[in-house]
Amino acid sequence: MVTTRLVQTVVAVVALAVISGVYLKAGGRLISGMPTRLRGVAAATVWVGPAVLIVAIVLVGPALSTLRLSLFDGDGDEFVGAENYTTAAGNDEILISLRNSVLWVVSLPVLSVAVGLAMAVLADRVRYESVVKSVLFLPVAISAVAAGVIWRFMLDYRPPGAPQTGTLNAIVTAIPGVTPVAWLVDRTTNNVALIGATLWTQAGFAMVILSAGLRSIPGELSEAARLDGASEWQLFRRIKLPLLAPTIVVVMTTMAVIALKAFDIVYVMTNGAYDTDVLATSMYKQLFSDRHQGRASAIATILMLAVTPIMVYNVRVYRREAVGR
Amino acid sequence: MGRRTRTTGVAACWLLLAVSCGDDESSRDSTEDTPEGTTAVVPTDGADGSVSSVPASDGAAGSAPSEEAQVEAAQAAALEAAGGEEIGGSVSLLGVLGGEELDDFLQVLAPFEEATGITVEYEGTRDIGAILQTRVEGGNPPDVVSTPGLGQMAELAAQGEVVDLNDLIGAEQLAANFSPSLIETASTDDQVYGVFSTVNLGGLIWYDPNAYDGPTDPESWEALIQWSREKAAADGVTPWCIGLESGAASGWPAADFIDDILLRQAGPEFHEQWWRGEVPWTAPEVKRAFETYGEFATDETLTYGGVTTSLTLNFANGADAMYSDPPQCYLHQQATFMGGIIASNFPDLEPGVDLDFFPAPTFNPEFEGIQSVSGEIISILNETEQSTALARYMATPEAGSLVGATGRWLSPNSQVEAEIYADPFLRRASEVLQEASGSHYLGNALMPTALVEAFWQSGLDYVENPDELDQILSGLDEVRVEAYAD
Repeated sequence: MVTTRLVQTVVAVVALAVISGVYLKAGGRLISGMPTRLRGVAAATVWVGPAVLIVAIVLVGPALSTLRLSLFDGDGDEFVGAENYTTAAGNDEILISLRNSVLWVVSLPVLSVAVGLAMAVLADRVRYESVVKSVLFLPVAISAVAAGVIWRFMLDYRPPGAPQTGTLNAIVTAIPGVTPVAWLVDRTTNNVALIGATLWTQAGFAMVILSAGLRSIPGELSEAARLDGASEWQLFRRIKLPLLAPTIVVVMTTMAVIALKAFDIVYVMTNGAYDTDVLATSMYKQLFSDRHQGRASAIATILMLAVTPIMVYNVRVYRREAVGR
Repeated sequence: MGRRTRTTGVAACWLLLAVSCGDDESSRDSTEDTPEGTTAVVPTDGADGSVSSVPASDGAAGSAPSEEAQVEAAQAAALEAAGGEEIGGSVSLLGVLGGEELDDFLQVLAPFEEATGITVEYEGTRDIGAILQTRVEGGNPPDVVSTPGLGQMAELAAQGEVVDLNDLIGAEQLAANFSPSLIETASTDDQVYGVFSTVNLGGLIWYDPNAYDGPTDPESWEALIQWSREKAAADGVTPWCIGLESGAASGWPAADFIDDILLRQAGPEFHEQWWRGEVPWTAPEVKRAFETYGEFATDETLTYGGVTTSLTLNFANGADAMYSDPPQCYLHQQATFMGGIIASNFPDLEPGVDLDFFPAPTFNPEFEGIQSVSGEIISILNETEQSTALARYMATPEAGSLVGATGRWLSPNSQVEAEIYADPFLRRASEVLQEASGSHYLGNALMPTALVEAFWQSGLDYVENPDELDQILSGLDEVRVEAYAD
């Protein structure tokens, strides 16, 4: 079994290399053989064509089929128009997941930039900077499922009076008169707890990017500002922050996308109970528990529409930067 | 400046790619490696995220000679099931068990592996409804499924995804080893889709004889609740403890008991109409069953730590407070398998002395002696030499007695005598079953998946907000209408 797989893999890799090589050679020859006025178009077609084709097959195709399915009934047989969308708009569970996803999209980017920036700026000022950064970056390497399990232990609840096995409740109840909190059941804390767990896995990533951004600000600028009598806060607020803005945008859009596709942490920690469903878990339930392809596809479409503006904005920022060069 | 930011952007994209790859992997982790199940699962909180995808250990022979004889007999039976030769190879098995329960279940399979050379790759998940559906739709079904969710297997059987065991094992062999009612429970109109591997007697109330001073044979449910209220008022100790948390399947312990109450309060006939989707959830009988459960479960003064604790406590730790010093509760409602879980949590307990059970008292004199059962079935999705051998093995009395020998489950095999139960609980449970005027399968294992999951969820909702029972029931009825529509 394993050896056949290995042989197949090797054959596939070699075949891919050979085909690419032949394609490059033949493409080059084809273009140089063309009349000069057609060369531009030919080059674009030959070199970009395969990429466009692959994107069409793996991305555009499924997206269109999802869009189509969202207009059909649960089994995908009968056309029902916008019924799935209107049902979704009247379904408490889906509305709550929509509300939660909005909460995620707003708070995760803001929090991760705030925490990441604070860590980047502060870590910059200590001698053992690389150690601090490595430690803070560690959670990024932990899978979301493991993070979810870890945080479930951290947030464990035991009734008042019993020994608190959850770290957070052990800390909280150390304060006299404070009763333990059922973090994952209490509706005022559970969504925040889930976002917090995600933040823990992502803040290190934000820190690394922002730290690189900070590093790229020329030292002369800070020096000049200091000579002009700027305080450290003014230096940060008036010089570094504006120069860092494009990096912050990158981090924020990344986090917004992570927030929109949040699934694992929620699935592991609450599975959407007590009003913690997000769009992705709600879609999963519609698809695999309720077996309703139509509604699941409608939720997927809503998700896709929500991500699109962020991606368009991201691309625009890149373009502007490229032109500015 | 522009160039630098662009570099940062590219770096960000690379990292993003890495992150999203990580996400893919972890979601796969979550589907494959989260154990814990629906009717019978992990003993500790800690098992929640641990990996349970382990091959069965070989060589399970215990020290007692009778055990050795049992194992040898099982090996012979396994070899016969495999057509008399060591086939080798492997069989994938998707189930809901984890932790020590899984270890014990694998003990039943160990002689099979030993004798046939077949490796059983058990994969445990508490989210079997969704996982199995994904695997089947993705064209990658496990060879064998071991599940308490008969309703889902019936759905898959109707879609032609499940192998008919009448062909594979043979109707005669089935009839020789299982009671007609068990065979019928795991059948659709035209095929047998599963063979029972374990059976649990439901509706039991566990207690610590050293601490509990209430009636052990209460004449009615009202009498038991009456005692609970008086005890709570007199001692200030909450008599009951409840644990409803179970990951993706949270709420099932509540649903199981409501199911049991409905069966014994409204009668088997209504109960069957109910799980077949023929009567609305808004019927007064259903409402009454919920309210009967609520008499203790929604009463803050009767349950350990109140409702919040019931909701957050993992079901496997549900009875732990009975053994804290001093006890924080005296009674815990759960099926037979809970005895094994409590014994795993507190290895020093002596069964019968420090832990015992009595069947929940009569809810309605009209249906006295009716008991509820649940259990797991083995179904074959991929017919291979190995999976066929496994199904045949599980239908033998030798495998059946090993199930009983685990001390966790009753054996479904009708050739297995009550004497094989070394465990006093199981022996008594099997007596209770024999004396029962009728035993009926729990409805929440037989319903369509969507309704089962909504029912479990409703257990949490009702305990949290008992005042909203009417809305909860009409919500469930909407799910029923849709689930039975096709």
